[in-house]
Amino acid sequence: MSELHWMTAKAVAAAIAKREMSPVELVNALLDRIERLNPRLNVFIRVEAEAALEEARAAEAEAARGQLRGALHGVPVGIKDIIDVSGLPTTCHSKILENKIARADAVCVAKLRAAGAIILGKLSTHEFAIGGPSFDLPWPPARNPWNRDHHPGGSSSGSGSGLAAGFFPMALGTDTGGSVRNPASACAIVGTKPTYGLVSRRGVFPLAFTLDHVGPMTRTVADNAMMLGVLAGHDSLDPGSAPPPRSADYMKTLEHGVRGLRIGFVRHFHEIDVPADPEVTAGLERVAFTLRAEGASVIDVRLPALGDFAAVYRAIQQSEAWSIHSEWLKERPGDYGRLTRRRLMAGAFMGAGDYVMACRQRSQMIHEVEAALREVDILLCASAMDPACRIDEPEAIERNYVRQARAPFNVTGHPALAMPTVLSRDGLPLSVQFVGRYFDEANLFRVARAWERAACTDALHPPLEG
Amino acid sequence: MDERIVEAIARCAGLEKALEVHPDDVAAAAAAAEKVTNRIRRSSGTLSEPLSEPWPPMIVVGR
Repeated sequence: MSELHWMTAKAVAAAIAKREMSPVELVNALLDRIERLNPRLNVFIRVEAEAALEEARAAEAEAARGQLRGALHGVPVGIKDIIDVSGLPTTCHSKILENKIARADAVCVAKLRAAGAIILGKLSTHEFAIGGPSFDLPWPPARNPWNRDHHPGGSSSGSGSGLAAGFFPMALGTDTGGSVRNPASACAIVGTKPTYGLVSRRGVFPLAFTLDHVGPMTRTVADNAMMLGVLAGHDSLDPGSAPPPRSADYMKTLEHGVRGLRIGFVRHFHEIDVPADPEVTAGLERVAFTLRAEGASVIDVRLPALGDFAAVYRAIQQSEAWSIHSEWLKERPGDYGRLTRRRLMAGAFMGAGDYVMACRQRSQMIHEVEAALREVDILLCASAMDPACRIDEPEAIERNYVRQARAPFNVTGHPALAMPTVLSRDGLPLSVQFVGRYFDEANLFRVARAWERAACTDALHPPLEG
Repeated sequence: MDERIVEAIARCAGLEKALEVHPDDVAAAAAAAEKVTNRIRRSSGTLSEPLSEPWPPMIVVGR
């Protein structure tokens, strides 16, 4: 196997289970690649080389005895650095928490470990999972492997960049306003924000309680489905945790195709509300055309305007984040990066009435999206309206980051997946987003897999050396 | 938002240090919040009861 770094999690797990592959050999190959390429991409805040090799040796010995811990036995994973890994700092990419050591694994990390995954290290993020790429923090921002002068999306920036660079086949991200799906869109990988409450957030530093989600990030749809199968589940100690889903086997219907499914195309998001780059629009039309050709019916669907969703999202996010950060903002404002400080202080100017009004509008929006999903099985819409812009142009980033259709589904809690469509003329990834009914991630993956299979999006890799 | 009002709200919120060292950031934060609240307040006139009850703040149940 000459290209270990592009192997999928599913292929790695299968090869290790059959004793056709050594987890130690794989981890060594990935660590070599990380050592060579990470200085150009800044994916890692901390590489746990020795611990990962130790875990790999244990996994190899267990596999030799025929003892597999679970579906991810021996599969390496990267962890966004707002998620606790026992004994390691959870810095949130911030001076504020530079020396905070986690006492226990977050529930999502514990589940990955129990399934046999090997933790490679902690990954870059936007500071406290908000803002954008910043150069005034203790660690540099992650860069986009498709063009390192461009941003990789965020806030799960290291997760997206590292997957696209072939540093690991799986990563954990978090998504409060699109932070799993933004890097998925910018880096041509697959990122899912599950139904609100499907994956426990215990042990994850919060940004906004009622908008926060933990989500799987991978290079293929099948890996994403497999990873979510491990992560999903009720947690009685997470106040937002939902009752158990009927089935967490997202692999079962993955290859069923889209024949007979009804897909609602939310065109007004990218045609009227926030007019998209023509190449993005062409990519979305190609997805709709392909799914229709594969046997789905595709009809136009209307939801509330993106501007209304954005206002509700910001009012809730700013208010809830202020309640978390206010003491530090009062005492240590200079220890935040400039962009984060600006974003977080906005909550100080939000009235209680504004928050309640936003929550009331959210309730109405949930009813409107639910009504649309009674008419169709899946929604198809834009994720990013443009390819990723340059990382060193703050005004372009400000514009790039708000031109999106991801936050609506943090507001409503519906599951949403972002993945590539095609590359732009400049060689940058363009993307699509699928949205499902509550707890219907299985159909989300089914549609995403149909597009992936038709367009071979899983074969997209950036032209990195080595 | 008037500069004096921004300063008064910031002081009420305990942001004296930020006002002293990062006044531009305080002003930017106030402007960002104002943009959001204007839109929220404009849209809220159309809400109908009881669908727009905000409690509990977030709940998802399977159908």
